[in-house]
Amino acid sequence: MDSLIAASARALAAGDALNALKRISLRDDPPALALRGIAMAQLGELPRSRELLRRAARAFGRHEELSRARCVVAEAEVALAMRDLGGAPRTLSAAVASLEAHADHANALHAHLVGARRHLLLGQLDKAADALQALDGRALPHPLRAIAELVSAELALRSLHTADARAALARAQAAAERAGVPALVAEIAEARGSLDRPAARRVDSTGETPLRLDEVEALFDAGTLVLDACRHGLRAGTRWVPLARRPILFSLARALADAWPGDVPRDALIEHAFRTRRPDETHRARLRVEIGRLRKLVAPMARIDATSRGFALTPLSGRPLAVLVPPIDGEQASLQALLADGAAWSTSALALALDTSQRTVQRALAELEAAGRVRAIGRARAQRWLAPPLAGFTTILLLPSSLPLA
Amino acid sequence: MPILTPQADSPPDTLKVAARPAQIAREYGPFDGCSAVHGVTHDGDHVWAAVGEKLIAIDPDSGQVARTLDHSGDAGTAFDGKHLYQIAESRIDKIDPANGRVLLSIPAPGKGSDSGMAWADGSLWVGQYRERKIHQVDPETGRVLRTIESNRFVTGVTWVEGELWHGTWEGDESELRRIDPHSGDVKERLRMPPGTGISGLESDRADLFYCGGGGSGKLRAVKRPRA
Repeated sequence: MDSLIAASARALAAGDALNALKRISLRDDPPALALRGIAMAQLGELPRSRELLRRAARAFGRHEELSRARCVVAEAEVALAMRDLGGAPRTLSAAVASLEAHADHANALHAHLVGARRHLLLGQLDKAADALQALDGRALPHPLRAIAELVSAELALRSLHTADARAALARAQAAAERAGVPALVAEIAEARGSLDRPAARRVDSTGETPLRLDEVEALFDAGTLVLDACRHGLRAGTRWVPLARRPILFSLARALADAWPGDVPRDALIEHAFRTRRPDETHRARLRVEIGRLRKLVAPMARIDATSRGFALTPLSGRPLAVLVPPIDGEQASLQALLADGAAWSTSALALALDTSQRTVQRALAELEAAGRVRAIGRARAQRWLAPPLAGFTTILLLPSSLPLA
Repeated sequence: MPILTPQADSPPDTLKVAARPAQIAREYGPFDGCSAVHGVTHDGDHVWAAVGEKLIAIDPDSGQVARTLDHSGDAGTAFDGKHLYQIAESRIDKIDPANGRVLLSIPAPGKGSDSGMAWADGSLWVGQYRERKIHQVDPETGRVLRTIESNRFVTGVTWVEGELWHGTWEGDESELRRIDPHSGDVKERLRMPPGTGISGLESDRADLFYCGGGGSGKLRAVKRPRA
């Protein structure tokens, strides 16, 4: 390492990206390119940063595998911040192997976390959980600990384990404060705040009640049969019958749940599910078939009985029934509620789930995307939609502080 | 945007001299609040190390930090018997070790791509890291008197009993090399264990070399081979 590289790395480690740049801005040797790339990332110039890090990785010599691996990790983190998830994860895993082989544990841990966050953004929750598990029991530096806890909170929230999420966020906050990164502290505070805002409304004969996430969770835990119009399905305790991709069954279930404990006339069900005001015998036959399907699906949690007028839904073992709807009305709320499961949805699947046209869904998605509330991955037919992570992962951690070179 | 010339790997070693393993006699540090050692020199009593924010003087017997000067040091350090010379950014500062005052500043020959530095025979000898060169520099003006080419990254230079030694460090591989000061031919090689880099080099004018350990923040004493 030479003198200006050392001086520049020193400035960068102290958070002074401009002074770091000043010393090496005209140099194109690989260590200088790498430091310029990191400084640019800290200044928010992500495309430029990425280009510099790529050039640095290419330019390091055969002997400098470790330096090259560090550049690969830094570039992967920049790509993550740019939400460009197309890169080959194999490159990242090769870099991790290289870092481990050279006993650069701090950067290897950092790389693992970049991988976990990438899975999270891609809606690969299992893989994200696996990656996180690989870090269990390892001593992480404070900023990395904070990020790991954020990822873990996100995973807990996706599966509606609000107590676990709260605990993880509290640990994240403690780690962020010890790390002394104000932007990270702010981000975690924002994530904690979202736990206290209404996440859904409970609708019953008495009216509507806003519920926080933990109240939703409590409703599920109490064993109440919940018609969930957010994620489109029926839940009783840990049992979950997803109906998002079966809109007719969902709309029948919704109509029955709204009428509980009463019944719903056949014609009303036909009008609701098949959108026709002039039912004939074929509609009645179809209704019997669909009710038969629904009855089979919900058998473990509820009965559907024929009455003299129509049908009635009755939870098993005398459980109460509740209807849960998104916190606000409209297509956008429903879309966001569906995407809240963290999975990658196609436009057609969303249209199907909401029983509306793809055109309507596309319009709503475009508005949400412009507001930064959904993200698209892929193009054309392969395009999928995802909710942004609850924790935004801003670019604050684009400081592989352990990175700067030998 | 200038097109980047890919950094060539070092030419293959066609050296006739076989490398012997370096014998590490002792390890010091890492020292409190110091993340890296960039330069090393010896004033007869203490080993001085440039550790970024400051210069520290280490008692080689106890391993304790005896003194600290608030002077940034990003690369080589040298001692002429009276003054310390320290590379900081792209200049060389001549420092009074008694009070830390900077008496003179000259431009560093590599304009900031400088690494190791030694004092001998009235000249400063400054390594230029990735350019694989050693410059002989006039300590009063900074003028380059002569340049020796190496085939490895130069990370530390020292003279001992008329022998010119320099450290090399590329990736995992690091060596101490004695070279012919006129031709640059490699005469002797001591190989450091894999992953042990050398940043900064100085002899104690007796049996030991002191080697900075780069980002490990360590200082290592290596036995000097005697013919």
